[in-house]
Amino acid sequence: MEVSVTLFGGLRHYLPAGSSFNRCSIELDDGSSLESLLQKIQLPADKPYMVIVNDTKVAGDQFGEITIRSDDQVVLLPPIKGG
Amino acid sequence: MAWQQKILRVNLSTGSCDIEALNMEWADAYLGSRGLGSKYLYEEMDPAADALSAENKIIFATGPLTGTMASTGGRYTVITKGPLTGAIACSNSGGKFGAELKLAGYDLLIIEGEAAKPVYLHIENEKVEICDAGEIWGQTVWATEDILAAKYRDPLMRFAGIGQAGETLCRYACVVNDKHRAAGRSGVGAVMGAKKIKTIAVRGTAGVRNADPKKFFSVVNEVNARMNDREGMSRDGTLAMMDVTNSFGSLPTRNNRSVRFEGADKLNPEAMHSPNANGHTNIITNGACFGCTIGCGRICKIDPTHFSVKDRPEYHGASGGLEYETAYALGSACGVDDIDAATFAGFLCNEYGMDPISLGGTIAAAMELFDIGAIDEKTTGGIKLEFGNAEALCAIAELTGKGEGFGADIAMGSKRMCEKYGHPDLSMTVKGQEFAAYDGRSMQGMGLAYATSNRGACHLRADPYGHDFETTEIEGKAKIVAETQRDTAFLDASGLCLFPGGCGWGLEDYRALVDAACEGDWSSAERMHETGERIWNLEKLFNLKAGLGKKDDTLPKRILKEPADVGTGKGLVCKLDEMLPEYYAINGWDAQGVPTKDTLSRLGIE
Repeated sequence: MEVSVTLFGGLRHYLPAGSSFNRCSIELDDGSSLESLLQKIQLPADKPYMVIVNDTKVAGDQFGEITIRSDDQVVLLPPIKGG
Repeated sequence: MAWQQKILRVNLSTGSCDIEALNMEWADAYLGSRGLGSKYLYEEMDPAADALSAENKIIFATGPLTGTMASTGGRYTVITKGPLTGAIACSNSGGKFGAELKLAGYDLLIIEGEAAKPVYLHIENEKVEICDAGEIWGQTVWATEDILAAKYRDPLMRFAGIGQAGETLCRYACVVNDKHRAAGRSGVGAVMGAKKIKTIAVRGTAGVRNADPKKFFSVVNEVNARMNDREGMSRDGTLAMMDVTNSFGSLPTRNNRSVRFEGADKLNPEAMHSPNANGHTNIITNGACFGCTIGCGRICKIDPTHFSVKDRPEYHGASGGLEYETAYALGSACGVDDIDAATFAGFLCNEYGMDPISLGGTIAAAMELFDIGAIDEKTTGGIKLEFGNAEALCAIAELTGKGEGFGADIAMGSKRMCEKYGHPDLSMTVKGQEFAAYDGRSMQGMGLAYATSNRGACHLRADPYGHDFETTEIEGKAKIVAETQRDTAFLDASGLCLFPGGCGWGLEDYRALVDAACEGDWSSAERMHETGERIWNLEKLFNLKAGLGKKDDTLPKRILKEPADVGTGKGLVCKLDEMLPEYYAINGWDAQGVPTKDTLSRLGIE
């Protein structure tokens, strides 16, 4: 299945080649976890981010327990301060 | 010695201009800029005085690092009693004016009294003159600068002044410098208007010294190397926040009726960088303030075929574009998803001298009044002030800048306007100042920060962002808000910008720069915390003497009673009542939010 992922702010630097402005499609096996999805995006280990799936923020210790479906909306957000 | 050790005191009532020695004991305790300016204001004026009376003073304060080669060392603060809030106002700006004032030889410019007729101030190092402003009174900020620049023919002369909004005493008129940077909040521009001082023209060649130049240069290079995460800020500016808050569910929308805006993708960085149907791209380039190595400023152009500027070529050039707060206030807060309309309204804010956050927040409240039928087209002079109406946004912004028609009501600010029309609960304000671009239900720490901010609702008085995006649970938030309010006060007092903190710097980098520039040992975290705490408590004391109290450390009913509709905080209200007592206790304040004698004694305040 293909899952659409949006990377906001500076994270979009790490989108695979050929992606649109801040979105990409990731090929995943059915039943894959959020952890598997994030491994495919390969953000650098020193780049912190938070993940929102379908309107809900997912805690880091839950990444392996969330099963991703093809119509899920996955958003990765960088830490950022206001201005 | 990074301080110039000199104050310029101008009395507009008597016409005197005097140069005085800086009180170095106070500099040692309050560092500079926001801290030192607040100390002078607290000692020299009665906080109970009317903000628009001759008794109020307005202080332009630089920090020890202003005008140095430290990155972002171009900041200055305008300190006065705020006409919007009745509280202490300390409004910070970048650009190049602050550095020029410091280079002219002054740590502080204190303006007192009021002029009998409109004047402007001309400063070239120690030559200071109060000049007749007959030629420029009634002009916009932009025209004023052009007229005086042509008169003095010095391309390095810098200006900080007001437009018609300041002259007509708009409660949130700002002081604009360098045409599109502003000391924006709390109505500091209206204080200039009340004193009939149009602008300050300054040119300085005195230079800035510091205690150990060799050490200072070395530290500057060291910390600059650590500012290694600034590309996002350079490319997207603060507007990058819009996607974060909209996804998280904390982007105030339609006067905080919602926390998510369906039109955010028409205002976000992608929209700003992408050509529209006419092939026009909103952003031209980024811009930087004096000495800045980030460049978060947006330099933008409006599509010349857009309704707002069609047949108005004077608005076809590039100028300061949408930052996140402006995009929220003139966008999602009003339900407007037209990036060119929001950019135009932002241009008007710079041109007429208005705070875009308060303007947008007040227009959003007026749109809700219109929506519920509390006002109608008769009230607005024929303008259909509906949420999402971009034409109405632009029209009412221009009227407000000029102080004409229903714009005169918008110029009151949302608190006074909503009271006038019988719906005070619809004003999304704290201490009379409009919210910034974060909802205090899904960001509980920000709710507490708004409620307790000494200058009214503000997103830059604390740093609860990381914890708020981590959890909506309130445990730990009171401590984070209290501690970061102190640290932020210290950073503002230094003369540097807060944004390097989001681009790789830690607090230790700021401390290293202050320590290298100033006499004495400023290297310890303890001194930083204590200095910031001293500033925070002094501002609090000013407010208490001005008549504010615990009743003012609160939030609108909507944030306390109506749950957030979507997002991570769906179903939540702000749990302010649970956080506030802990916050007071952490600060060493009593149950009414009054600093105890022990706290003041420990800080050496009274």
